[in-house]
Order: sequence, then C-alpha cells, then structure tokens
Amino acid sequence: MKKSYDVVIIGGGIIGCSVAFELAKRGRKDVLVVEQEYLTSGATGRCGAGIRQQWGSMLNATLALESTHVFENLEEYTGYDGDCGLNQGGYLLIAYTEKEWEQFQKNLEIQHQVGINSHAVPLDCIKEIVPHINTDGIQGACFCASDGHADPFHCTYAYAKGAQGMGVEIVTYTKVTGLKVENGRIRGVATTRGDIEAKVVINATGGHAAQMAMLAGDELPIFPERHQILITEPVAHIMNPMVMSFHRHFYVQQTPHGSVIMGMGDPNEPVSLNTKASWQYLEHNAWVVTQTLPAFRNLRVVRQWAGHYDMSPDRNPIINEAKSAEGFITIAGFSGHGFMVAPRTAILVSNYLTGQQDSLDISRFSVERYKTGELLLEPSVV
Amino acid sequence: MKHIEVMVIGGGPAGLCAALAASSLGAKVLLVERDEIPGGQLVKQTHKFFGSEKQYAGDRGIHIGQMLLENVIAEQDIELWTDSTVLAIYEDGVVTVEHEGKHTKVKPDRLIIATGAAEKFLSFPGNDLPGVYGAGAVQTLMNVDGVKPAKRVLMVGAGNIGLIVSYQLKQAGVEIAAVIEGLPKIGGYLVHASKIQRAGIPVLTRHTILEAYGNGQVEGAIIASIDETWQPIPGTEQKIPCDAICLAVGLSPLTELAWQAGCAMAFVRELSGHVPVVDDLLESSRPGIYCAGDVSGIEEASAAMVEGRLAGLSAAFSLGYEANEAKALQQSAMEELAELRAGPMGQHIRDGINKVKLKRKIGNHAFENQTEKSGIVKDYSSDATNTCRAEIKTSLINDGIPTKEELDAIYPSDKRLTEGPIAIVECFQEIPCNPCVKACKRGAISMLRDINDVPVVDEELCNGCGLCISLCPGLAIFVVDKSYSGDMALIKLPFEYVPVPKSGHFVAGLDRAGRELGRFEVVRVTSGGDKNKTFTVSLAVPHDLVMEVRGIRIGEQAI
Repeated sequence: MKKSYDVVIIGGGIIGCSVAFELAKRGRKDVLVVEQEYLTSGATGRCGAGIRQQWGSMLNATLALESTHVFENLEEYTGYDGDCGLNQGGYLLIAYTEKEWEQFQKNLEIQHQVGINSHAVPLDCIKEIVPHINTDGIQGACFCASDGHADPFHCTYAYAKGAQGMGVEIVTYTKVTGLKVENGRIRGVATTRGDIEAKVVINATGGHAAQMAMLAGDELPIFPERHQILITEPVAHIMNPMVMSFHRHFYVQQTPHGSVIMGMGDPNEPVSLNTKASWQYLEHNAWVVTQTLPAFRNLRVVRQWAGHYDMSPDRNPIINEAKSAEGFITIAGFSGHGFMVAPRTAILVSNYLTGQQDSLDISRFSVERYKTGELLLEPSVV
Repeated sequence: MKHIEVMVIGGGPAGLCAALAASSLGAKVLLVERDEIPGGQLVKQTHKFFGSEKQYAGDRGIHIGQMLLENVIAEQDIELWTDSTVLAIYEDGVVTVEHEGKHTKVKPDRLIIATGAAEKFLSFPGNDLPGVYGAGAVQTLMNVDGVKPAKRVLMVGAGNIGLIVSYQLKQAGVEIAAVIEGLPKIGGYLVHASKIQRAGIPVLTRHTILEAYGNGQVEGAIIASIDETWQPIPGTEQKIPCDAICLAVGLSPLTELAWQAGCAMAFVRELSGHVPVVDDLLESSRPGIYCAGDVSGIEEASAAMVEGRLAGLSAAFSLGYEANEAKALQQSAMEELAELRAGPMGQHIRDGINKVKLKRKIGNHAFENQTEKSGIVKDYSSDATNTCRAEIKTSLINDGIPTKEELDAIYPSDKRLTEGPIAIVECFQEIPCNPCVKACKRGAISMLRDINDVPVVDEELCNGCGLCISLCPGLAIFVVDKSYSGDMALIKLPFEYVPVPKSGHFVAGLDRAGRELGRFEVVRVTSGGDKNKTFTVSLAVPHDLVMEVRGIRIGEQAI
C-alpha cells in the first residue's frame, strides 16, 4: 500500500471492484480498493444473485439489459479463469392483482423499446414454464428467458483479479475511519492502516454509504435495510426460472446444484445495520413461498442469513459527486438490485471519470433529483 | 412456543451434569440431545476415569454416563429431548430445535451451551481412502456398535485419546502397528502409554504420517521421523502395512451456536481454538447464556462434568433458586476445577483461561453483593509454579517406559521387600487422580498436597493386600511378594483382556516394553467385581524377574 493514489475506492463489493476494473481498463490504474473485511463480505456476498431485465423504467431496463450482456461474457471480459456461474433460466414474474398485471403490461412496452426479449405468459401456459406452480389467484405473468442469476463471489473476484492484473491494488481488513477534505475538495482517506492521499475517492459502501458520505459533509438519503434469505437442501431439479411476486414480496429459484434459495422483503423492516437472521422470517418466508410453490413444502432449510439493501427514496441508485467535497463520489442506494446492474453502472461511472462519452446521462442519478422532483420511479421492486 | 427456565444444549458429560445441577436447586430444565442416547463421549468410554471421587474417578465412562442418564430420567423437573437437534439461537433469545420432525421454538430464561467438540483431521495424500478414521469413530464402532473396525491399525497421535483407543483396540483383539506422535513427547497420561508399551505397542514420538496407500482402501501407511521444524527426515521413511489409520490429533470446540448467539469469542491456542469467553461462573458475554465442557476449551471429561455442574448451579441460582446453598455448591465446584487443573497437565488450561476470563459484571443477575471470587477459591495455580510441580524430562516422556533411576526411587527398601507383599505404584507423572489413596483402607497411600501429586506408599502401613491394583485407573499399581517361596516371588498384575487366565495356566511374562521374559504359572486370579471388571492376576516368577515382569500374554497375543 502506497501513501498516495489517483483513486481510492472504499468498499470491496461488486460495485467497488467493477468500478476499479473499468477505471483501470480506461487507463486510470493508480487505484486502491479498501475493504473493511474481505471481498464480498457486505451486501454482495449476501445477495440473492438474481439478474433481471424486466424493469418498469427505461433507465433500469437499459442498465439491466446492458449489464446482462457483460455478465454473459464476464470471464472473457475480465480474463478470469474461474466460472462466474451465470445461469439464464429466466424470470417468471407473477401478478396477483389486476393493478399489478396492468403495470406488467406497461413494463413490457418499455422493455421492448430497449430490446429486452420479455413476453406475457398466457395463464394456461404458466405451468409450461414452472410445472409445480400453484396458479390460484395469479392474474397474469411475464417471462424473460435471458434473465437468470450468477455467482456474486466469482463475479466480484473476476472484476477484482482483472483490476489487479492491470495494476489496481486491493487491501482487505482495512477500515476507512475518516475522509480528508480541504477547500471543498477530497484529499484522501484515513484508514486503520494509515492515511492515504487521493485525487478521487469513491464511496461504494452500500448500506454504510450515508455514514461514509457524512465524513465528507455530504448528506445522502441512503438507508440500510435488512433483508433475509434462506436456502434449502439440494434436491432434483424441478424449476428453472426465478419466480417472483411483487405483491407477495418474494423471489425464489432453484440453484444449479439443486438448493432452493428464496428471499422476501418486509414492508415493516426498520432502518438498521442488523445482519442477524430471525426465526419469524424463516417461518413466514417458508409459508409464503410454499403457497405459490407447494412442492417445496417438505424441503429442509439448511441456512438462513441477512444482508442489507442500501435503500434510496425512489429505490434507485444514487451516483453523486459531493458538493461539499469535489472528487468524492458516492455510488450506492441500489435498493436491492445493485448486483445485477453493477457492470453497466461501473462503465457509466468510469466513462464519467475519464471524460468519455456515454449513452446514459449520469446526472440523472444525482441527488438533485430529490430537489427537482424528477425521481427515477421504479414500479417493480421486491 | 415452549417456555422453560433452563435449557441445556448437549447431553454429554457437561450437559447431563448441568441439567442435574440446575434441577437440584429447583429449576425446570429442558435437556436437548442430538443423538438417540445421551451421554456424549461417555457412551463409548470403557476406561476408568481419573480425577477424584467427586468426578466419579475409578468408574468407567460408560457407567458414569449410564448413572447420570438414569438420574436425569428419574428427575421430574428435567424434560429430556433426544434425537433433537438445536438449529439456531436467535437475537430475541428464541432457540429453535428440530424435535419430532418439527421446527420447534423454545424460549428459555437461561441457556447452557454444552455442545462439546469434534475431532480434527490431518491432510496427507490418501486421507480420503476408506479405512482412515477419526479415533473417536473407531471407538464408537467398537464400543457402541460392537464392530471390530480393523485387523491392524496405525494410530496417529499419542494424546490421551490415541493412547486409550489403542488400548481398547488391543482389548478388542486388534493389532496396533504403532502409535506415532509428531511432538517430541507423549501428550497423554504416561500411565496409558506404559500400559500399551507393556502390551507390545511401540510409541514413536517425532514421527508423522506421509501418506496412506492402498487400492480402494487402506493397505498401509508411510511414516517418517521429523526434525525440530516438523519436516520429514529423508531416509527415515517406513512402510507400515495396516488396514486402518486412526487419527487422534486433537479436538476442536463445537462453537457454532455460541458464535451465532453473539457470545464474545476469542482464539486461545491453549483451549484448542476459538472459544466463547466466560466468567468464573461460566456465563458468556451474552447475559443468561452459559458455556460448559469442551465447547469453551478442550479438557478431560472430569472437568466437563464439573463445569456442567457449575453452569447448572449458576443458571438456576441466577433465577433465584436456593441462594445460600447454591453459593457453597458453586464454590466447591470451582475448587474442584482448580484442583483438576492444578498440575503440570493443567498448565495450558490455566494459561488459556487466564488469557480470556471475563470479569463478572456487577449487577448481573443475583450477584450484586458478591465480591471478588478469586479470593474465595483456593489458589492452586501458585502451588503449580512451585518447583515440586515438575514435568517429566527423562525418556519416560518419550516412550512411557520408566527409567531405572525413576524405578529405584520408588522401590521399597530391600529389607521391606523380603518381609512380605508390598504395593509398587509406577505412577510418575503429576496427573489429577487419587482413587489409590481412597482405595487403601490402611491409609498406606498418600499424596502430599492435592490429587495432582504422585502417590507415595508407606512401606510400614502397606500390607500388600492388593486392593488398590484393580482400582487404579491407570493400571499402574503392582504388588510384589519376595517372601512367596525360596525360588519364586509373586507379582500381582492388573488385567483387562479376554480370555481371563485361570490359576494353573502358564502364560508369557512380559517386561515394561512388552518383551517376553519366560513362561510363568498363574497362581491366582481375582475379579474386581462386575462393575470394576479389572482382574488381578498373581504370577509366580523367579526372584530376579519380579521387578521386571509387568504384563502377561496368553497364546500369541501380547497383553
């Protein structure tokens, strides 16, 4: 670790590592990634790992579509010798209310405009996609065959190793304890292993992002919210796609090795950095999911865990350079879909930092939108 | 959701004693055991326990386990769930259990984690071949399931488990190729090593296993000497044909539940890994959660039983049960623990505990008025630093065979030897054990300060009756009678094999290294009783061999 870098990235999750990679690819190689524990130890390593393109806003649909293209070739793209575990089994989104079904149809139009190959599924065809589903109460469904999931650990390592190969340094078990700001400009970070100077500091700390930004005098509306997941014993494959219901707040999929992994949002979950799992969640999630997929009723749960969504008010990412500290850029607030849009987000941020053109307007993600009211409204999140 | 005052996780020696102690003060207890039969490691421990009578010393582990379980079953205030696995301890104190096939929730007022330990494994080529076992697994096969696990075994590790399981394999008629140990000394009790040496089992210190070989199953192992940096010395490789390799290379505390419960944890090498940090009453950093037994540091089962008792008392006391009685009981349990750990064998445990002991929080539960505990308990640790408490430095520590000097120092005077029978206690190591002292009705065997001292025989008081022979857990006591006849002297030996010889039989007499010294007549065999099961065999040997013969062999089998 040197005393000074061009760019210091705080956070060794998928965002921090992908930004490091894309920056290095564009020639900004004097980069240090500082991770307080180990790579993926935060939200990335705890996430549901889904990759979904079926979004309801043009911006998210574009981010997801273009990220999916990167995931499809991530090993080659980063020069990684492992397997990033991409499995495109599709996402089946099911609507339980009329209103939800109407929204789905609007979403499809947007998705088709950006070129996503999603389609509505006639009710009598749902069982062709997921044979064991209980269709009671389902008003409609959509499917996108190229949705799927990938291994968040391998994806992060792929970016990290690719970045290191180009000269990026990564330090783990090192905590950033302070930010140095002078004359309205970021100058560096203080860490548990000493002070480091930097021209640019990137805050990719997920649920910790608001706390971190406060150290530079930047107030951001990002809140950590606990989300839990459970996983069952592996059994024979009976379900390819991820099944997702916004109305019932759940998603469930069967992994390639046969375990069934499922997660749920809780509308009453308080803001907190708690990562403890709860038995109430275990019982509730198991009950809700088996209403829709009764075949999973006798599976044994082998693990449960919790991680954080980094929530923003409009449940969309905040990419923001601090007014109080020029050169301090926060990339957070992904509200539960950071993993799946990370590849394209990293490209967007890196293009900005290297003065390159991008087809997306990065300013749309700034916190200014909460003042102007031009929110990034996304109707379809769990 | 089920509510209970005290929940105990784990039905091994610590858990059983915790449940009994908590209920003895009046608390309602739920004891949860993963196995179908509680007892933990006790269910297969056919050897006699060390320690003092307070920890049932001299009784065999299986009998202690049965007795504790019977007491638990007879106690109306203890509910016992067997075949039930604790799944999780949640933030709100709810414990979930897989019980009768259901996800069951329990809300205990106090929780005692007594989950024990698991065997460690070693990395070497071929360690995945069928026939490579943990020593504990082999012990279960033999002693619980009645399956002879192999014909010829290589034992890796000369700690107590390696030595004891080797002895039990020998009892089951299995040949032991060798016991190898990476350290320069034997880690287990030397009386166990002496016992297997005189059965002809070599103990090789500073040796390691390089690989296991075989086509589809273990057919042998390659072992080698290692240097001071633990590197194999080229040219010392030996091929050891065997059909099983037992790994007795230590235990790791089973701490998952303590981690999950959010107990403060610390890595303490002396306690064998990451352990929950506890205070002197065994409460963890999370109020109301106690830890007892191997989960908070690997020790003998004797210590686990006392820790279990202390945790049970502490949990019940903190709920307000039997305040006055409990304090005295807690104190005596703490004194027992201090005594068990006072000798050189307890040095690492004392060091480990001192590194991470939690300071009792004033205002916690019922202990507001309690002051410093360390002043109340007799401090054995200062005794232990005394020069009298010395580690063995002779070759005895390498092979379990006492030197001539060590033997000469304990032999009775020549005059006393000619006068009639007298006990010879070949116990040179300071280990916590005193059944011999209790066994002698004449008070001829004594210890200087506490149970860690080596026993001393008073040659005037001892009449050579031999009662102590079958009561010594280490099988280290012999009676020699040079007055037996003009030609022959009598040696009385402990014996725990089958078949049992009968008087009139001629058997091979073996020295302390298992070498045959001749064939001698058995003149008497006495049983230690149905429970004790150790026989005393009297053998007539020439006068010049009576200090040499320490074992016998019937037929081809060295025993």
